[in-house]
Amino acid sequence: MKTLAEDKKFKWSLKLLASLRDKSSESATSSPPGYNPSIHGVVETEAINKNSEQTHLIIKKSWDIAIGPLKQIPMNLLLMYMSGSTISIFPIMMIAMMLMKPLSAITTTHATFKTFEQAGTGTVGQKIVFVLGHIACVGLALYKCHSMGLLPTHASDWLAFAEPQTRSEYSGGGLVLL
Amino acid sequence: MKINFRLLAMNLSNFSPRNYVLLVATFFCFIQNSQQLYEDQIGKFDWKHNFVGKVKYAYFDGTAGDRIIVATEQNVLAALSVRTGDILWRKIMEKDIRGTIQYLHVTQSDKNELTRPGEYNDYDIITISGTSPAMVRGWNPNTGNIIWEWSLTPNTQANAENSLWIFRDLVLYHIVPVYGSHIEVTGYYAKTGHHVKSTTTRVSAPWIVQGKCIVVAPYFVCTIGSQLVAVNLLAENSVLVAKDFDRDISGSDLKLLKGVEATVIVGNEAYTLHSDKITLRSNVDSFNFNLKINNENILIAGSLQEDKSIRISSKYLDSGEAYNDLYLVAHFPETLGSPQILDVQCKSKGSGPVACRMLLSSDNAAVILMQQGKIKWVREEALASIVAVEMIDLPLADFEGSIQSELQNKDGDIFGTLLRRISNQILQLRNMILTVIGLDGHRPDQTNDVDLTRDAFGLHKMIVAVTEHGKIFGIDNISGKYYWIKHLPNFKGFNEHQSLKIFVQRTSRHFPNPPMCVVIGRNKINGNGILYQFNPISGQPINGGITTLNYKIQQMTLLHDTESDFLKAILILDHENKVHVIPEKAAKLAHKMYLYTADKTRGTLSGYLVEYSNQQLDAVPIWEVHLGGAGNIQKITNIAMKSAIEHVHSQGRVLNDRSVLYKYINPNLVAVATQGPDSIHKYVLNVHLIDVVSGAVVTSLTHRRAKGPIHMVHSENWLVYSYYNDKVRRTEMTSVELYEGKSQANSTIWSSLDAPQLPMVEKQSYIIPANVVSLKETITEKGITNKHVLIGLSTGGVIEMPWVLLDPRRPILLPNQGREEGVIPYIPELPLPSENVINYNQSVAAIKDFFVTRIAPSKSFDLLKEDFDYILITVVLAALTISSCVAKHLSSRKTIKQAWK
Repeated sequence: MKTLAEDKKFKWSLKLLASLRDKSSESATSSPPGYNPSIHGVVETEAINKNSEQTHLIIKKSWDIAIGPLKQIPMNLLLMYMSGSTISIFPIMMIAMMLMKPLSAITTTHATFKTFEQAGTGTVGQKIVFVLGHIACVGLALYKCHSMGLLPTHASDWLAFAEPQTRSEYSGGGLVLL
Repeated sequence: MKINFRLLAMNLSNFSPRNYVLLVATFFCFIQNSQQLYEDQIGKFDWKHNFVGKVKYAYFDGTAGDRIIVATEQNVLAALSVRTGDILWRKIMEKDIRGTIQYLHVTQSDKNELTRPGEYNDYDIITISGTSPAMVRGWNPNTGNIIWEWSLTPNTQANAENSLWIFRDLVLYHIVPVYGSHIEVTGYYAKTGHHVKSTTTRVSAPWIVQGKCIVVAPYFVCTIGSQLVAVNLLAENSVLVAKDFDRDISGSDLKLLKGVEATVIVGNEAYTLHSDKITLRSNVDSFNFNLKINNENILIAGSLQEDKSIRISSKYLDSGEAYNDLYLVAHFPETLGSPQILDVQCKSKGSGPVACRMLLSSDNAAVILMQQGKIKWVREEALASIVAVEMIDLPLADFEGSIQSELQNKDGDIFGTLLRRISNQILQLRNMILTVIGLDGHRPDQTNDVDLTRDAFGLHKMIVAVTEHGKIFGIDNISGKYYWIKHLPNFKGFNEHQSLKIFVQRTSRHFPNPPMCVVIGRNKINGNGILYQFNPISGQPINGGITTLNYKIQQMTLLHDTESDFLKAILILDHENKVHVIPEKAAKLAHKMYLYTADKTRGTLSGYLVEYSNQQLDAVPIWEVHLGGAGNIQKITNIAMKSAIEHVHSQGRVLNDRSVLYKYINPNLVAVATQGPDSIHKYVLNVHLIDVVSGAVVTSLTHRRAKGPIHMVHSENWLVYSYYNDKVRRTEMTSVELYEGKSQANSTIWSSLDAPQLPMVEKQSYIIPANVVSLKETITEKGITNKHVLIGLSTGGVIEMPWVLLDPRRPILLPNQGREEGVIPYIPELPLPSENVINYNQSVAAIKDFFVTRIAPSKSFDLLKEDFDYILITVVLAALTISSCVAKHLSSRKTIKQAWK
């Protein structure tokens, strides 16, 4: 109870003196409650500092996104290991997701980084890393497919399409009928 | 004959005569699981006709019942119903010569004056079958049960083959003529086999000549020069009686006049034999019978008239006066051939005229019962000896056919094509509407042909069966009905027990050209080639039907290429190694065709190349392979070619490492089996696989102490054959598979002249715990289904053996790595589960019956069960639809009412 009372008190206390002291000399009257005269000053004086910080954040964020697919790889490896190589609905669904998600992500690379481009930062490196990461994911999925035997990489996979050989000679006959 | 099939299309033309038995039409999309049949499916897609074979002896059973007892050339003793001709019971004797029925005696009732006087015993039927030993058996005519049996082993084999028998007063007389010397007569008590006398009576008869003599109980009669000579074999002191003729009669036929008296027919005159003289009785007709009616000897004589009718008249044998009670003229279809009277049974009702039944048998094995002046029933026993079978697709219905031709028509301008298409579709629409509203009644050919159109899955087919007697049948494979019958009296099979051949020259696919088959045989008159071309659906002759050739046929085949009429021409190699093509205009298509001939006794195979140059065809000998071994002791016994209509869908086999083992699919490969004696191993059986284009021997296998009968199936890249292993006394089957290896030398073109190196040969032998009497593989149109081998067993069952069980790659030791898919470990015995007997309990006895069914080697797919209740589902659906409409209406009314409240 006590803590609650203190918190309440703290929340609602007015520091009128402090605001007076920091205030510029434009007016002798005290500013209305809640007025913060420092806003203007901060924007103006720290604009450059703030911009460089934001750019930094944006770059950081964009790299986060770019590296994201690579971070998924250990997870995917674990999933792949856990799901086994039997052909059943769950591993197949998993592989389908593992294939489809990176591919669709690659196609939307531009959109993903659009906001960062608007912010004026260069995103070529991130894009490359992003795409490479997804390609790595696809590669993993393909490897999984391969280990499950789903890739038509053997001659036997194409056997059903093999055309019969055409005959170049025809023959007939049998026991002498005389 | 048993024929069974469920096959789509099977080419049996290469069947050895013994194997014609099994036809199976298989469809890949088929109704039920091939391995089982539910009880309610019995008879749904199979049928069976039972036969007895060509009748040799027949008697009306005089003792009781309306029965006919028959003994046939197919070693069958049977009782037929007089009313319907159905088989009441049937007993099958030993195969081949061991069971040949030599003599049949059926006791005639002596109560009825109208029939012949005879003896009555506690057994009523006696048969004697075989000669060495001769089996004497007594049978109960009611049940067909055997009552007693004894055997007689003759002293000398050679003479025993001429054995003749007489039954008189409970005693069986065994008569052995020793030609040029004497006749031995031995009496046995029929029931026990005990000698009547301790010694054999010898009747000295140095005048007897083989082929000129017959037995007319109790006489032995011969035509010697200008004399008819007879001796009574059963008399104490036999006296020779003779009659002189003014001409040499040894060339004319000596026949027994069937009936009561000891009468023979010489030329066209009947002579009765007496103990002291031979008297001329009467002139006879083309077929005759003699019986006693009211103690008068009546001669029944008949002949065929030119207007497809039969005329039977009768007269008193003594006076020659006409006997008017028995005269008839009846319609007699020409397909029945020329008849003989087997037996006549007459009954008189009070003082009225006698009523007679006549049992006739024709030269093409039909059994005919005539009663009240017309044919009452006919049994087509020719079907007990089928030699070749083709299954023909039915043609498309008219409007479907016109669309088919439309699709095939590649030329013509665009507007014409459009117009034709539209008019065809209007026709189709009209047909559909007419069918729906039930007005489709005005098609002129509806009665007969409306059923003969292709069904949705092409399962409805016409079975064209060629029989040994030159009779051809067109049989519906669903109903078993005979659509047409054709008798070819001048046709006979080829030498060395090779049967008539049938080829399909044009299938039903080439609308509007009719399908066309050809039956090829030898002319009975001069042995030259003779062929009959016909439409297998209607049975009508094409191009005038019969073509007689003026040369003998050595070998023949169908050409592969066709002209614009899609007709495959026949290539014939004649006895002078000249080549002919029928029709002649297709001669140039025979260029570069290869032909081979196999000489059984010399054990050689010869290959020819047919060349067309300067309007002339020549057969150039290009190779010869000698398989006879040293001293020609090995004789060719079987040749197995691949089916000409076979398609191989799968080009290879997947191994466990997922690589491919490519099949060695050589369409020119022929399997040749040779057999011969051997000084060390008693018998040796060799099987050679020979490419008949290049003459290359691809592989050879040898089985020591193995002998026939051999049955072979050759298909795709494998060969399966069965033989008897004398060493361990059991039947074995060997399967051989050929593979090219893990790569194909040429994946697009097969040329035997540029064939890959010697293929890999996989082989394995299995024990089959049964006697194999025929083998055949299943075949489907595009070859996409699994192959099963149908095995006809001596028990009358037809087993469907999946190829995986015969696979030579079945491993003996389990490999460490994973097994190949679909390969099961080797077990020497082949299982014969009773579920795999496709004819369940419908045994095809001694392969004399005709059984048709269908099997689905790769199971059926996506089909409603044949007992699917269409009415129920329709009613339920309709009821649901209506009730939902009603409910919708009601609920909307209720909503409105509630809204107004």
